[in-house]
Amino acid sequence: MHVPAKPSPKEVPRATFLGRAVAGNLGALAVGVKYFFDPNRITLLYPHEYIKLRQGYRGYIVLIFDKCISCASCARICPARAMKMVSINVFDKKLKKYMKKKYPVINYNRCIFCGFCVDVCPTEALYHVPYHDLVYNSMADMVLTLEDFQKEPEFVTAKEGVPVTYIYDEKKGLVKVHYEEEGGEVQKAEGGQASAATEAQGEQAQGGGG
Amino acid sequence: MVTAAQVAYDVGWGILHYIIFYPPLYQLIIIPGLIAALVVVIFIIWFERKAAARVQMRYGPWEISPRTGGATQLIADLIRYTFQEIIVPRTVDFMSYIIAPNAAVIFSILPLVAVPMTSVSQYWPIPMDFSLLIAVALSTLSPIFVVMMSWASNNKFAVVGGVRESFIIVAYELIAVISLLAVVPLVSTFNLVDIVQVQMGGRWLGLLNPIALLDAFIAVIMSTSAFPFEIPDSESELVAGPYTEYSGLMYGLNMGAGYIRRWTLSVLITLVFLGGWAPYRPGPGVVAGYLVPSLIVVAKAVVVMAIMSFLRSVYGRYRLDQALSLAWEVLIPMAIAAFGISIAETYFGVIP
Repeated sequence: MHVPAKPSPKEVPRATFLGRAVAGNLGALAVGVKYFFDPNRITLLYPHEYIKLRQGYRGYIVLIFDKCISCASCARICPARAMKMVSINVFDKKLKKYMKKKYPVINYNRCIFCGFCVDVCPTEALYHVPYHDLVYNSMADMVLTLEDFQKEPEFVTAKEGVPVTYIYDEKKGLVKVHYEEEGGEVQKAEGGQASAATEAQGEQAQGGGG
Repeated sequence: MVTAAQVAYDVGWGILHYIIFYPPLYQLIIIPGLIAALVVVIFIIWFERKAAARVQMRYGPWEISPRTGGATQLIADLIRYTFQEIIVPRTVDFMSYIIAPNAAVIFSILPLVAVPMTSVSQYWPIPMDFSLLIAVALSTLSPIFVVMMSWASNNKFAVVGGVRESFIIVAYELIAVISLLAVVPLVSTFNLVDIVQVQMGGRWLGLLNPIALLDAFIAVIMSTSAFPFEIPDSESELVAGPYTEYSGLMYGLNMGAGYIRRWTLSVLITLVFLGGWAPYRPGPGVVAGYLVPSLIVVAKAVVVMAIMSFLRSVYGRYRLDQALSLAWEVLIPMAIAAFGISIAETYFGVIP
């Protein structure tokens, strides 16, 4: 992708009236006819298509219950005070008895999806899912219980929609393509290490974002 | 012995020949009048939206029926306009408020009674001796009603739109008249049938005098406030220009009047510059002598109108002073030059 540092304007003979008329009107009409016969439509037809987001996108947050050490760092760092710790009785395997421990729950009424809780978690017990288009029936539903917080929310758009992504084409500019066209190549090239690569990519994106 | 079948046949023949193909009725109501105009206008509005969307990286009407590209959207809009409540504001001048849109539609479709659809004299709606002059004269009537409805609306946006419309009328009327009449010295007749007969061999007057065609084309675009001259009803400045106070079917009439006017003038341009029913020679009978040539004219005029609509996707809107300076400083000298070209071609005997 070659992007010149300084765009150099083309020399157009616009001094005379005829030059202005030709360069202005016929040039515009030529561009219009070109796009009429070879359209480059970039509108996202949302329910029928959705943008396939990368791993590392700060979508909804899911808790891995077994990794959580109840340190409450997530609740402390949360700038919107969306994360709260709740006490529940759990069976401790080492001590072999029931005891009270604290676990985080989230209130999506308040959450701003900054991802600080995921970044700060010492045992990586929290992670993002790469989608954010979700509907709750009421505001009370958006305050998750501990059970709901451990489940990945259902990605309804992916059931009917086609995943698309936007790539930069050198001739046409920004174009909308089906996700398989681009992601398929990555899968082929990387083979078995694709998941590792995407994880690394995700970490990079998170680090850059944080 | 008169059988029922024979009576039915005779009645049907009579209806076909004396009502449907009775020339004034046929031309005003069926082709190229109201019904054809309505179908063409629905198609053209759809085409305009889709073409603008294609060029501007959008989809346009799509969701209502994805397979046909949202073609039924316009029919839905038509039904919506039809059943919407017509709200008449208390401050308007009622009679002129009601009369103006209807008169605009009627007068914009009226020139079609003066254009021939065939060379068979049996199917001419009026005697064709001065038909070009009559058609051009009738086509200049309907914009007055736009000014009238803006005045009757008693609304500041409508009045500003009406003032702009009157500026534009003064600018384009001369161009349209001069450039459409520029072919008269070339063929030395006002008879539209003779004008089409001259072009029968493939020598279209639009090719012999392209400047006149270009001028007439631009004048039609200006007169129907299409892009880039959508100055009277510029949505971003004036709400809807002269049509601000109208709602429901009355607004639909206003919007349709502009398109029907564009359609009428496209038919006129087709006959004068693009050869009318040119490669086809009308034969005897209703179908070969009247229906087929009128359909050929309709097809050509639809292409002209589609090109006019395509400009929406490319151009922005000129300011009023830019449009007026273009009209007075460039287009009127060009129209007079086209007149001169016609006289020169006549002098050198281009048309034997």
